[in-house]
Amino acid sequence: MSDLAVGQALPTGAPPVPDRPLVARSWLAGVVLRTVGQISARVGLVWIGTIAFCAVFAPLLASSYPILLRVDNKWSSPLAAHLTAVDWTLLAAVPVVGVLLLLKSLSFARRFGIFLSITLALLTILLLTLDPKRTNVYDQFRALDTTGRVQSIWRTPIPYSPSDRLRDQFDAARPHPWAPSRDHWMGTEINGGDILSNMIHGCRIAMSVGFISTGIALVIGIFVGAMMGYFAGVVDLVGMRLVEIFSAIPRIYLLLAFVAFYDRNIYIIMAIIGVTGWVGDARFVRAEFLKLRNLDFVHAAIAAGLPLRSVLFRHILPNALAPLLVSASFGVAGAILAESTLSFLGLGLIDEPSWGRLLDQARAGGGGFHWWLATFPGIAIFLTVLAYNLIGESLRDALDPKLSGGQ
Amino acid sequence: MPQPLLDIRDLNIAFNTARGPIRPVRDVSMSIFPGQTLAVVGESGCGKSVTALSVLRLIPTPPGEYLGGQILFEGRDLLKLPERDMRSVRGRDIAMIFQEPMTSLNPVYTIGDQIAEAVILHQKVGTKKAYKIVEESLCDVGIADPHRRLGEYPHQLSGGMRQRVMIAMALSCKPKLLIADEPTTALDVTIQAQILELLRKLQKENGMAVMLITHDLGVVAENADTVAVMYASRVVEYAKVEDLFDRPQHPYTEGLFRSIPKLGSGVDRLDTISGTVPNPAKFPAGCKFHPRCVRMNGDAKCATVEPVVREVEPRHWAACHHAAGYENAAGTTPVLDYKRQVTLDVLDAAGGVM
Amino acid sequence: MLSYILRRILLLFPTLIGITMVVFFVMALSPGRVTDSLQASEANMRPEERQRIEAYLKKRYGLGDPLVVQYGRWLNRVSPVGFKEAGEGFPRSTTIGFKTPDLGESFIRRRPVLDIILEALPVTLLLNLITIPIVYVVSITSGIWAARKRGQAFDVTSGVVLLALYSMPEIWIGVMVLGFFASRDYLQWFPTSGTHDVLAAQMAFLPVFVDGVFHRGWLLDAVWHLILPIIVMTYGSFAFMSKLMRSSVLENLTADYARTARAKGLTEHVVLFRHVLSNSVLPLITVAASILPGLLGGAVIVESIFGLNGMGKLMLEAIKTKDQELILSQTFVVGIIGLGSLIVADICYAIADPRVSYE
Repeated sequence: MSDLAVGQALPTGAPPVPDRPLVARSWLAGVVLRTVGQISARVGLVWIGTIAFCAVFAPLLASSYPILLRVDNKWSSPLAAHLTAVDWTLLAAVPVVGVLLLLKSLSFARRFGIFLSITLALLTILLLTLDPKRTNVYDQFRALDTTGRVQSIWRTPIPYSPSDRLRDQFDAARPHPWAPSRDHWMGTEINGGDILSNMIHGCRIAMSVGFISTGIALVIGIFVGAMMGYFAGVVDLVGMRLVEIFSAIPRIYLLLAFVAFYDRNIYIIMAIIGVTGWVGDARFVRAEFLKLRNLDFVHAAIAAGLPLRSVLFRHILPNALAPLLVSASFGVAGAILAESTLSFLGLGLIDEPSWGRLLDQARAGGGGFHWWLATFPGIAIFLTVLAYNLIGESLRDALDPKLSGGQ
Repeated sequence: MPQPLLDIRDLNIAFNTARGPIRPVRDVSMSIFPGQTLAVVGESGCGKSVTALSVLRLIPTPPGEYLGGQILFEGRDLLKLPERDMRSVRGRDIAMIFQEPMTSLNPVYTIGDQIAEAVILHQKVGTKKAYKIVEESLCDVGIADPHRRLGEYPHQLSGGMRQRVMIAMALSCKPKLLIADEPTTALDVTIQAQILELLRKLQKENGMAVMLITHDLGVVAENADTVAVMYASRVVEYAKVEDLFDRPQHPYTEGLFRSIPKLGSGVDRLDTISGTVPNPAKFPAGCKFHPRCVRMNGDAKCATVEPVVREVEPRHWAACHHAAGYENAAGTTPVLDYKRQVTLDVLDAAGGVM
Repeated sequence: MLSYILRRILLLFPTLIGITMVVFFVMALSPGRVTDSLQASEANMRPEERQRIEAYLKKRYGLGDPLVVQYGRWLNRVSPVGFKEAGEGFPRSTTIGFKTPDLGESFIRRRPVLDIILEALPVTLLLNLITIPIVYVVSITSGIWAARKRGQAFDVTSGVVLLALYSMPEIWIGVMVLGFFASRDYLQWFPTSGTHDVLAAQMAFLPVFVDGVFHRGWLLDAVWHLILPIIVMTYGSFAFMSKLMRSSVLENLTADYARTARAKGLTEHVVLFRHVLSNSVLPLITVAASILPGLLGGAVIVESIFGLNGMGKLMLEAIKTKDQELILSQTFVVGIIGLGSLIVADICYAIADPRVSYE
């Protein structure tokens, strides 16, 4: 009996025969596929696609300038004359993306790199060379109609720019804001601007603030979290104090304090929203790094003599990505909410179309209520936040090892 | 003829998963007599844990489903009992201990509270008396300074001590049958020996029957009276422990014994059973073991007809077309009232356990 | 346990200093800080007034000194322990001791900031203290129910509904609720603003009938004014907490120790409410730490929409009038309250989970 080893496991010799052929597919691609396969994510993506579409094609969808104009037998495009460098770059990006999607032979990273370089190069060139007319006289084209010299005119679907205050239609007996009508499908705001136009152009603000702020928050969060998780000890102690500081002060108060003392342009606001939102990401990254730093592949990388930043960011970090994806999706929702709230409180961007700013105008003096100023912008913010939350939830389900079917 | 304490007959269990139903337990029959130790042996995934859990009806019924068969305990079919009556069986007549003592104890309550809970529930005594009983049972399982331990939490104890606490909790109401699901797998080797010795001692003191689930043949050799070998949801061999070790009838059991390294045999490579355990969702047709079997020799019957257990030798059942005498053997129900000849006293005299 | 609490409290201080630094340097490093405040109110100021303010600023901030010195000076004035003038605070004679924190004076309102804040704080605290129990009770109940009836009607619908609620911005819901239920254009079931009716001071405390006419009474009036704001404050938190509770309960229902409890012969009821619940609420206690700062932030929106005179509304007015002292002190005070809630939550968790104290 003593020659039976206690606790002897039963060895099996042959290599395992897999049940189905293994497809070479990166982990990230698997996650994306599992996410997009869920119906909630699809619903979210549909809405975000709509917003993105509006953001890219905003000037072609809503502008007081006609796309094409034939006056006295001369063709011209007033709209094109007023497009900025950013407008052109966004429009040009569409065919670039289309072409890149077809080039399946290149890897995704490669194609993304090409896309980025082309758009950035284009943007720089345009910023330097293009000089669109700055002064906006919106009513000139409405007035032109009446002179009879116009042979043909092609307008955008919504023939108003967001900052067109309809001065030529001023009527003292009927002050703005106007309720929705055939001319203005969603009504007008207090200073006369068409609401639908503002909503469409506001998509740009929403998308850009959402992504850039979250990007900033991710960068800060990853850096601080990685330091805390990897080095632990004193670094962790100090880092946790930082995390506590930014958790204890409510985000809105921090935003308000910043806004009170700094300028109110879009870049500063994006930076502020990013700087106040890194705490969640840092926590996740710290937890993952604490777990991962003792694994053998880290020891192997260090033993091979790799520099620290390579070990941290090229070896450990890709394994810590899972919670960050979820956090980023919810983070975009939070950033959009933050910007809307600031605009709602009257402390956001000036002169830019923002959904929150429209919402602020819904309350009328003396206890009245302009329902169209509350409903449409509100639904837009709600649907956008919901879309990102749905995607975040779907990502979370896709990343949950218990639900992923043992890949 | 004495009746078995526990008699499992043709048990069939299904799990309805998102990918379709799987059957982790098929036509399983085994029995345990009072004071007997039955070892259920097999690799992970063969269905031994599910069988054990189903005795106490601890399989959650969605997604699980009891398809058929009986589990007779002292003559009553446990599968047909109303839940209320089942609850009075659990912990009182039949008790169970599990593999992972750390997670099997509630982390936010003291061990004293947790054991007392069982005592108060089943023995209907007051709190003070209950804690006295708890202290005594802690002493019985060999925990020093039991009075202090009453107020301690599971994370304050070592692995071996936690398993002793689990045993104390299970035995506090003096059950007739103890089901031990791999009680020592998560413990150090030296602690394993202590725990098994403790189990044997308590079994002898209380006259308790034990169903010992394990994958370790060494444990079987030391502790079991009878053995049921399971493979891919079925019982493939059932015999007295000495018969099993002397003359294994099923190729799987043979393979298990062959693959254990023997001292002084001087071979370079260990013998293995080629292939792997089949996926429960995709069991092969016919005999579940045939893809890995050395006896098969291309026999088509093995790939199409699934063998059932038959009494190929007196009081030795096996499920293999190529077992000696299988064709003419009777398909009787495996029932073995047997306790081993070599007793604990002899082992102790021979110099103690490992 | 005690050592854990002490250690936790000791770690408080660096964070506290950190909060003061963040608050101070946000202002100090901004372009045109102090001078902006002056310019904003310059039009209304007489020369003596202007000089007084300049002198005050110089004394309080030591303009012209290096930033670090300015910070130190400000910190000393603001903290309840520090260097003090003779005869001030406790003890009276030595140079270091306890004193009332001097949060400065608001130029715009011409009053000490501390007084202004102490007036506004109770309203905000009241809102939060009513919100927190409601959120917890509703979330725990719905989370348990959804976990028990997993996959069934209640679970699926509540999951969808809660996610939708969570995504609805407070700014939108607040405006819609106010607009449809409290404005003259639609239903006017609720008052549009304030915590009390104009005539509140003259009301009896409890509702009463006088000559057959129902008078609301002070208590009911206060409740009536608070219903809409509380609804707006609570609905968003339900989703998160309820989902957390649900997943926590689900995890614990299938845990090994729950299996042991069932094997002992306990009823499912006892397994759930005695064993599983005490483990399931632990994540909710961790989350409690951040719920108060979140609610304080939400109060800004609610107070602004419903015209309640709390810290949030105060902060907005301070920003609009560029009342620098008020802005700084408010952020500081709110930060301290937030920090307090973090510490309390940590200690509660240590009490609830015996594994913690032994790290």
